[in-house]
Parts: sequence; structure tokens; C-alpha cells
Amino acid sequence: MRTVVIKDCEGIAVPNAIVFDIAQMDVKNCIGCWSCWWKTPGICAFKDLDEFYHQYITADKAIYFSKVTKGFVSGDLKTIFDRMIPLYLPYTTHKTGESMHVPRYDKYPDIEFYYDGEFETDAGRQIFVDYINRVFYQFYSKNVTVKPIAEFMADGGNVA
Amino acid sequence: MNTIILNGSPKGNSQSCNSKIYAEEFIKNMKNPCEIKCIANTDPKELARYVESFDAIIMILPLYIHAMPGIVMKFIERLERTTTEGKYIGFIIQAGFMETAQEKYVERYFADLAKQLNYNYLGTVSKGEAAGTYMFPKMFKKVLGLVADLGVIYEETHAFDKDIVKKLGKPYELSKSQLRLLKLVHMIGLDNVGWHKFLKQNNAFDKRLDKPFLY
Repeated sequence: MRTVVIKDCEGIAVPNAIVFDIAQMDVKNCIGCWSCWWKTPGICAFKDLDEFYHQYITADKAIYFSKVTKGFVSGDLKTIFDRMIPLYLPYTTHKTGESMHVPRYDKYPDIEFYYDGEFETDAGRQIFVDYINRVFYQFYSKNVTVKPIAEFMADGGNVA
Repeated sequence: MNTIILNGSPKGNSQSCNSKIYAEEFIKNMKNPCEIKCIANTDPKELARYVESFDAIIMILPLYIHAMPGIVMKFIERLERTTTEGKYIGFIIQAGFMETAQEKYVERYFADLAKQLNYNYLGTVSKGEAAGTYMFPKMFKKVLGLVADLGVIYEETHAFDKDIVKKLGKPYELSKSQLRLLKLVHMIGLDNVGWHKFLKQNNAFDKRLDKPFLY
């Protein structure tokens, strides 16, 4: 089983996984140019995530470690979400009763999403969890779990 | 009320920037048009400090993956909770997908963010199926007119007009008859005509279904 880790918080180690540490990456922001849809299908105009795209789309599982900033994912992680668009076709499908992107690939990794940080209210936490679930539903990941990082530790997760 | 408009599109001041069009439309018929600043062209830390001198912030932004673009979140990270009472924040989202239920996740977040920042929440105005605004401005004449009216009423009342918000927000979900129509359009292959035209113009039509990262 191939696992890819996207790390946006400190002090976490996952053995036997390919790790992308956002803090070390300086990922370019999506500029909405749509090159990946109508000029070079599936390929972003920026090349900085090419290795990431390959590892992500060929992985069975992606584990995210996200910090919580202002009750949301960081701008850095949001940029990674924005940059996922090349992995989908430009078309829209309404099969589910609502508008959705159309997959470009046959399969997408399962998602384990751990968040590190406090929320001011339980309602705020629910907004975050609902948002993350929706993102990976839109991204066609079949099995998605969203949990506080303490549960990763409790399950025997390693601290770097 | 001293209000600043923030254009949250990564396209900034480009001619293909829909948020810029909506922002300019919003202030067009105001007696004293608000200042518009571009998040894309400004240092987030400096901009966060700059907006503190205003009574109200209105962000006009595209929907990226059910929420604000990365650059907007990088700016939001820099905002600090205000100790001054009576500040306001509101949002106007223009999105690609037709139904504005797509925006409900970030609408909830923006309402929560206003509380976190101790700002009064003006609300979030959502407009779906807006991606073509800059390409076909004539088709969006009515919509842009509503945005201009929204701005005029905002200047007078310091609030988003409920009727206009409702009009812009339609449809919230796709009705059964809309879904039947969309299915029909799909069956006869009309839904992708626009995309295919652009792909052909760019000599990319044959590659449209490529899976470049499977190696």
C-alpha cells in the first residue's frame, strides 16, 4: 500500500510514506488561468507540484496533517486544494443531483485528515469538519475520515 | 460607513477577472464610491493593517474548491480580532457552478469568522454560474445591474438588500426539472461545446482526457 503524507503542522512523522512538508515547499498559488483544463489538459502551468501530483494520484491513501488557523485550513493548505484542479476534467456532471467536477483519473486516494488546533466553539469545529468532508467528496476520494490529531497519536502515530 | 472593497481573485486587475467586474459594478452608482484593493497585488500583512482603519470590509471573491482562494485565506490569517465595537464584514462570492448551495460551507465559515474577529456580519451574497461574466458581459447585464443596485442600497442602509441577495442566489439547489434539462443537454452533447471549442483553439482537444501523472 502506497501512502502519501501532506504535512502542514510540526512534530509528526509517518514511517514508510512519501512526505510533502508544506512548510518546505513554497507552493505557488493557483491563479485561475485554466491552462490545466484547456491548454495542457491535466498539467498545471506551474511545475512545482508535478512530483506531488504523481505521488498523490498513484497513492492508495493520503494522510493530511493540517493546522487550524482562524478556524479553517491554512492559506498554504488551501492553495494545495486549489491546485488539485488539474486532477479533474473541465466538465460538470449533475448525476448526483448537484453540480460536480468530473474525474480525470480512475481512482483517487482514500483520505485520513488530522487537524491540529483549537476551535473557539463546537459549531466552528463542525464547520471545519463539514468543509473537509465536502472537499474530498468533490475530489472523489471514497473513504474519508476527519479527526483531531490526538486520535492519530492515540492510534500509535509517531512524533518526530 | 467607511467601507473598503477587497477583490479576492488571484487574477487581480486582469481583464479576465470576474471579481474585479463585480467589485467595480458594486461601487459604480454609489455617491461616494468605496476604494477597491486587490488582495493578489498587496502584501497580506500590510493589507490587514490597512483595513483596520475602515468601519467595514466587503470581500468580493471567486469560489475555489467550495471556499476562498488560497491567497484570500493567507490574508484572513493576518486579520486580528478587533476591540472596536461596530465594525462590519461581508462577502460577495461569484462561482462557476450553477447552484449556490455549493457556497454553503464557506458561508457558514464566513459567519463564524466574523464572530472570531468581533465584526458584525453583513452576510454573504452568492452568485452561481458566473464564470463567463468577463467573456459574455452582455449576457450578464441583468446580474451586473443587480450588483450595482446592491451597492447603491448598501451605501444608503449599510446592509445587503435581502431581495437582491435572494435573486442573485437562485437557484439554491437544482430542481428536478432543471436536472432533467441538464441531463438532456448532456445526452445531446451540448454541455461541453464551450470547453471543446477552447480545447480545439489551443490544439489540445485530442489530449483532453489525458492522465499525465500516471507513470
